[in-house]
Amino acid sequence: MVTWTGLEHFRVGRFNPPPPAIEADDFVYDLRPRWPRGEERGKSPAIEESFHSRRTFMETWRLPLSSSIRGKLISAGYTSLSSISSVSSTDLARGARNAWDMLHEEEALPRITTSCSDLDKILGGGISCRDVTEIGGVPGIGKTQIGIQLSVNVQIPREFGGLGGKAIYIDTEGSFMVERALQIAEACVEDMEEYTGYMHKHFKASQVQMKPRDILENIFYFRVCSYTEQIALVNHLDKFISENKDVKVVIVDSITFHFRQDFDDLAQRTRVLSEMALKFMKLAKKFSLAVVLLNQVTTKYTEGSFQLALALGDSWSHSCTNRVILYWNGDERYAYIDKSPSLPSASASYTVTGRGLRNSSSSSKRVKMM
Amino acid sequence: MKPRSLLSQSPTTSLKLTTGCETLDACLHGGFPCDSLTENVAESGCGKKQLCLQLSLCAQLPISNGGLDGSALYLHSEFPFPFRRLHQLSRSFHLSNPSIYADHNDNPCDHVFIQNVHNVDHLFDVMSKIESFVKNSKTRLPLKLIVLDSVAALFRSEFENTPSDLRKRASCFFKISGKLKQLANKFGLAVVITNQVTDFVESSDGLSGLRIGNLRCLYSSGRRVVPALGLAWANCVNSRVFISRSDDSICQERREDDERSGSSYVSRRARRRFDIVFSPYLPASSCEFVITGEGICGRDAEKMDSTFLESGMVVREHQIDTRSLDKIAST
Repeated sequence: MVTWTGLEHFRVGRFNPPPPAIEADDFVYDLRPRWPRGEERGKSPAIEESFHSRRTFMETWRLPLSSSIRGKLISAGYTSLSSISSVSSTDLARGARNAWDMLHEEEALPRITTSCSDLDKILGGGISCRDVTEIGGVPGIGKTQIGIQLSVNVQIPREFGGLGGKAIYIDTEGSFMVERALQIAEACVEDMEEYTGYMHKHFKASQVQMKPRDILENIFYFRVCSYTEQIALVNHLDKFISENKDVKVVIVDSITFHFRQDFDDLAQRTRVLSEMALKFMKLAKKFSLAVVLLNQVTTKYTEGSFQLALALGDSWSHSCTNRVILYWNGDERYAYIDKSPSLPSASASYTVTGRGLRNSSSSSKRVKMM
Repeated sequence: MKPRSLLSQSPTTSLKLTTGCETLDACLHGGFPCDSLTENVAESGCGKKQLCLQLSLCAQLPISNGGLDGSALYLHSEFPFPFRRLHQLSRSFHLSNPSIYADHNDNPCDHVFIQNVHNVDHLFDVMSKIESFVKNSKTRLPLKLIVLDSVAALFRSEFENTPSDLRKRASCFFKISGKLKQLANKFGLAVVITNQVTDFVESSDGLSGLRIGNLRCLYSSGRRVVPALGLAWANCVNSRVFISRSDDSICQERREDDERSGSSYVSRRARRRFDIVFSPYLPASSCEFVITGEGICGRDAEKMDSTFLESGMVVREHQIDTRSLDKIAST
């Protein structure tokens, strides 16, 4: 059957010749109409290459490639050698990006500082945007403190090296205390004013415009009390962030609390969690923001003994890009990069002070590279 | 789904329930917070029941005095409930705050609701009724405080030490905690839960000695202890405070010779200590306190010389003085 477009092509002379009287043994007669791609649109029909030469048709077929690749080329329409050679490799790969471009893009992405320079160092400058970072540790180690510190630090204006964005804080446990956030916000503003004082000659004109109350206003605080609320909120985040484009960090404290209750069907829990993780990854990539998920620890029974592991199981551990584990070492709090595609394993110590997260005072216990 | 404005309260602090003792309040930056679960870990005899009873009464104070202007629900799982001590505290509370009750002619005990819980299922039952209780209650003061004393006693008998039972137990913890937090968030309640301690036993995997919070080790009565219910329960609460006592006495021993019975006794006061183990907004701190007839008081240097009716540690040297046994509260 010849379709309407087929008739047009026939009229301009693009058609296969009739099959030869004597067929070669390996002749493959492909009935699907194939139009040449590439430069043929710019040329007049008279000099357009016709694909009906069996030889040119077979050119792609005769290339020394695997049959699956040949099949893909032909089904994409690249039947002749000239059509393949005229097209650039990036177009052939249908929109794949160059690794160089991606590297430059990644280096240009800003990072959110944690206010602790040792921690920033092992994180490669801070929490990276477009990534999902999971931070886990025992109760009392400072997970909520890191969450609050990041939601304040993301608002540091660009003149001071920050992102100048807003934060979404999803509280599932009720650990977020407004007075603590206010305390950290005040310390942040004081630090910025001190910095302006040092850099007085450059920043003569700009005073620190932010006030601690403004910082609190820019934190979108959501409290969820059940796992259904949590799922509904995560689904709603796309719309919320499209309406508030300057959100640059989403913090969930903690991701596990509502999922450790009675889930009769563990498979369902895994499904729900992986769906949620996928949504977070999409959010991070789409809006170029950082997603920080705070997790709890639990004891896992492996090899006959109990060991500490992050909650939510093995399948969840694949859902995040980076993982940081917080632990006690003697009397100091340490952070350890457990999983990262680009950062080396390292640990650094930090303290939680009245002003927020800071470097620990002992200079001997600095960054340790593994 | 709309975000909650953080600046909706002014001043921007969450409501706190005073403990009735200035030293403890200073440690807690005002008292126990609302919309939050605070766990009170202590060995038996340290004073956690005293603190809970005192909190149930302080909840009735007006907000300007650090209270919550509300009533308290006391869920107790250990027997017996110290009714006499509650009456004793209530009498002194009424005397010091007559204005709250003058207009309505009731007394503090009218606003403390006591419910005993036998086991975990009973607790779930009771919690499901709390919401309707709060909405339909015709009491003068709305419910503002829930005390659960103690959570460890609920789990003592039903669960074995096998991994599957421990998992079931852990999911019960999160269920209880989730439900209580939901109630606390909906009605703005303060929730205080007491927990027991168990002796520290060094195990081969080292997990029993896992450090949680500001204190490397918890010591009480001269031996090392760990809070009961383990790591899973520690993940369920927002803050944890540790009350301990040490056997050494505070400075003075006073010998009193009782003329009538001819007995003499030495009153030793055990040091009681209040530590913040972990909290989302408090720095690590601790303070000392004593328990008196009126309740918990901070240990003040000037009060060392004055006479106090010790309702705790009265050590008799010679004969048992049966009169004083009534003064000892059941803890």
